[in-house]
Amino acid sequence: MSDLAAPTKDSPTTDSAQPAVERETARRSWPGWATPALIFAALVAYPFVLRDSAAHNIGILALTYAIAASGWNLLGGYTGQVSFGHALYFGTGAYATAMLVRAGMSPWLAIALSLPMAALLAVITGYPVFRLRSHYYSIATIAVAEIALVLVTNSSWLGQANGMELPITTPSLANLQFSLQDKRPYYFVALGFFALAAGALALFLRGRAGSYVRAIRDDQFAAAAVGIPVHRYKLAAAAVSAAVTALAGGFYVMFVLFIDPSSGLGLDLSVSFTLMAVLGGAGRFWGPLLGAWVLVIVQDVTRHQFSGTGRSIDLLLYGALITVIAVTEPGGILALFARLRRRLTRRRKEIR
Amino acid sequence: MTDLVQAVVNGVLIGSVFALVAVGLTLIYGVMDIVNFAHGEMVMLGMYSSFFAWSLFGLDPLVSLPITGAAVVVTGALMYYGVIGPVLGKSPLAQIIATFGVQVFLRGLAQFLWTPDTRTVNGLWADDLKLSFGGVVIGGPQLIMAVGALVTTLAVALFMSRTRIGGAIRAAGEDPAAASLQGIDPRRMYALAWVIAGAATGIAGGLLMNAYSASPTAGVTFVLMAFVVVALGGFGSIAGAAVAGVLVGVAQGVVGLYAPSYTLAIALALYLLVVLVRPQGLLGTR
Amino acid sequence: MRRRASVALLTTLVLGLAGCGGAEGSGDRPTEVKIAGLWPLSGTNATQGTDVLHGAELAVEIVNGVYDGLELPLAAEAGLPGVGGAKLKLVTGDTQGKPEIGASEVDRLAANGGVAAVVGSYQSGVTLTASQRAERLGIPFVNGESSSSALTERGLKWFFRTGPSDQTFATTMFDYLDARKQKGDVVRTIGVLHTNDQFGNDGADVTKKVAAERGLQLAADVSFDPTAADLGSQVTQVRSKQPDVLFVLAYTDAAIKLMKTLDQLGYYPPALLAYGAGFSDPAFLTGLGATANGASSRAAWAQEIAEKRPAAKTIADLFQQKYGAPMTENSARSFTAILALAQAINAAGSVEPEAIRTALSALKVPADQLIMPWDGITFDAKGQNTGARGVVQQLIDGKYRVVFPAEFATVDGVWPMSKARQK
Repeated sequence: MSDLAAPTKDSPTTDSAQPAVERETARRSWPGWATPALIFAALVAYPFVLRDSAAHNIGILALTYAIAASGWNLLGGYTGQVSFGHALYFGTGAYATAMLVRAGMSPWLAIALSLPMAALLAVITGYPVFRLRSHYYSIATIAVAEIALVLVTNSSWLGQANGMELPITTPSLANLQFSLQDKRPYYFVALGFFALAAGALALFLRGRAGSYVRAIRDDQFAAAAVGIPVHRYKLAAAAVSAAVTALAGGFYVMFVLFIDPSSGLGLDLSVSFTLMAVLGGAGRFWGPLLGAWVLVIVQDVTRHQFSGTGRSIDLLLYGALITVIAVTEPGGILALFARLRRRLTRRRKEIR
Repeated sequence: MTDLVQAVVNGVLIGSVFALVAVGLTLIYGVMDIVNFAHGEMVMLGMYSSFFAWSLFGLDPLVSLPITGAAVVVTGALMYYGVIGPVLGKSPLAQIIATFGVQVFLRGLAQFLWTPDTRTVNGLWADDLKLSFGGVVIGGPQLIMAVGALVTTLAVALFMSRTRIGGAIRAAGEDPAAASLQGIDPRRMYALAWVIAGAATGIAGGLLMNAYSASPTAGVTFVLMAFVVVALGGFGSIAGAAVAGVLVGVAQGVVGLYAPSYTLAIALALYLLVVLVRPQGLLGTR
Repeated sequence: MRRRASVALLTTLVLGLAGCGGAEGSGDRPTEVKIAGLWPLSGTNATQGTDVLHGAELAVEIVNGVYDGLELPLAAEAGLPGVGGAKLKLVTGDTQGKPEIGASEVDRLAANGGVAAVVGSYQSGVTLTASQRAERLGIPFVNGESSSSALTERGLKWFFRTGPSDQTFATTMFDYLDARKQKGDVVRTIGVLHTNDQFGNDGADVTKKVAAERGLQLAADVSFDPTAADLGSQVTQVRSKQPDVLFVLAYTDAAIKLMKTLDQLGYYPPALLAYGAGFSDPAFLTGLGATANGASSRAAWAQEIAEKRPAAKTIADLFQQKYGAPMTENSARSFTAILALAQAINAAGSVEPEAIRTALSALKVPADQLIMPWDGITFDAKGQNTGARGVVQQLIDGKYRVVFPAEFATVDGVWPMSKARQK
């Protein structure tokens, strides 16, 4: 972390030096595949350990948002472009899937088609906007998403403010619709999608693109100086990020069978993706998953605390959580764990 | 034709308030290079304090302006020492997230304390005032709001450009190292800037109660407008904010005549256009 | 058809396997029948949501208590005799006025609490998603106060609406306009000013359709965002088109802003006909005072019909006594919906959702057993009560007076509306 008393001011399209973020060290006595294996084992076991419908509901929502937050994380955490408008891609996934399914298409195909749509949208909106530096970029992402919200709310072919309903059909895997009495099929589809998203993200990050975007995050001028095509890789990251977030949106609309501007494109939704990633650990692979579970649980618990009086404390808690994280440990819960673990191992070494 | 004139007049009136709302934001940015995402919520708190001064003590929003200003100054100070100070100099991500967190927190706090219901002030003494000429009507509350906003904006601009302390703040903003060599404590100047911004914002909130209602989400719309105004006028320029505020207000008013649902979208599109084509805005220097 | 049948079969099987839903008590005879009530208890429509909740609570009290001499079904005995005297228990959920929360509340209450049926949800947009969720779960959803016509056009099996649809309301209002034309008032063009949501958009469509059928021209169709801070531009747009009649669909906040804006601009159409909602909210009157005079609104119920329906006065007085506020057409509708549901459960003699559904389909309540100015309750194949009717009332001297139809009218309407504002 740099120690400037006050940051220098630059024009909107240049970038000041960003402090290096810790790399994840792989030197553990722990094989690389063990963490994902453990995590997936826990996720698979969850709906069998907790059997009631409400717990399954939480799991489904947590996984859905984890997918979206992971998508955000690629662009925000790994490439350093903090977007507050990612609901745009979630909404694209949801609305595109909804419209195609209403027209008779298979939900699986519809979701698959919505992904490149979102990616294309990300590239088109990203092209001009990635030239801006941090604050301006973030505000621009809000502007783009809000404009989209206004357009959708006023377009009758997109359902206006009423939104769109999906028809109830025979429960089946082909229809991606199941009875709500036992939500486990939904849970496992969500888990499958999460695995897919995680795989895609891991592939991207492991390759050349991964090291390029990290370099861009750390210092985009140094990166450019070394010959990395910064703008192109920002767009690449944006495209993948958008597609992953759209996947979450597409699944969501098949689960809830309804989408409207508020639940698909709202600013609150964008903020929640950012929160989940930052809370868990932005720039860390499993951060968004952790953040999503924590926030969905917190939201469920707090929503019914003061039910009926409108005085829910979930917004209050979110805000407090983010602020505290940003001020004390911007790396999120996982960074906190890492710090604790280092302190413990240091002590162990001292004892020896 | 009178409808168009009416729209322009309404636009100038509301634009003056946008300008004042933007003053606090642009001042902070100009001095500390921090974009305060919680700015809208400060406006919202100003509005609420004005409402409660009225509902609990019967004070007309005009009379309670010192109170609303003070309320936001206090909030600002808390935010400065608790959140802004610690993240000064940290990565932009940390700064952005920190102020965003305060925004969400304040919104949640307002909703928790005061429920999501909108609160309106009735029976303003400016209510009976009404100017009209040639078919164009100017309501008393709107006029008071605009005049108050212009006066306050002017006051802040003069303070920053004509007084010694104002000059010290600007010096600290431009080059903290050089400033401290001259005996100016940058941190103290930042705090001061924060206080002035808080006062201006609180007054803006109080003035807004003349024509709008307070609600936990009131901040969100105003902050988006503020961003547009600051970008258009030039980050860091108070004069720019004043001019841009009126321009944005008029643009909104005219658009509102033909496509009222798109006023926000047009304003945001304007932001994108300005930031991409002329990043330094109308009167900004960088 | 086959799809619906297999869904119904599947859900009944699952429900059968899962056991009784919504009943307490040992074994066969439940002592309590739980029903879920979902309304906006927070957010911008909280006052109306609370009003509707009170109407429902009052109905539950009537059913559970002993009210000799009150000529309403289930009033005289305690509880539901058809289910062994079991009491009705209303479990409430807050929809916050949001469609997706309405749906998840249905999920939460049906899954954990196990309710026999769901009632709600005031805003048509929320009722849409909540009832869809109930359909998937195979639980009856009875709606009293959401008027969007689209709700009964979805082919749902488990959705029942006791109240009038906007189609019915529109017909009533246009009948009123025909009556005014015969009195010599000019009615050639209409305008529609509506909130941008399910209720507003749907109502606007219905209005335009009926207007076309009656040979009236559409002069202006202006929508506004429910959260719009200012309606100046919208009203100016309407004013420039000078419609003879302005139809309005708005919730409370916007309704109040609208009347204030009309006052500010000094513009009043010859007639303003609102589709209830915000205009029926007591907060509308208290927030505006005399500024609201002259506005007309459709209503499913009015205090003044008490003479024609004896039980209406008793219930209205009870409501005022208990809650310190007058009963509105919203609380009257939710009251009636709960009573209708209770009758169905009673007739079914069980808390099995399928049995209740069948009983609802077969339900027939005569007009004199209602507190509403309706022809009775009978559901058609789409789940709409064909007996539902509306009245038109106008704000005169700070109070709503019924002006149409003649059967319930107590005064003549004031036309143009600006006449009602002259003092």
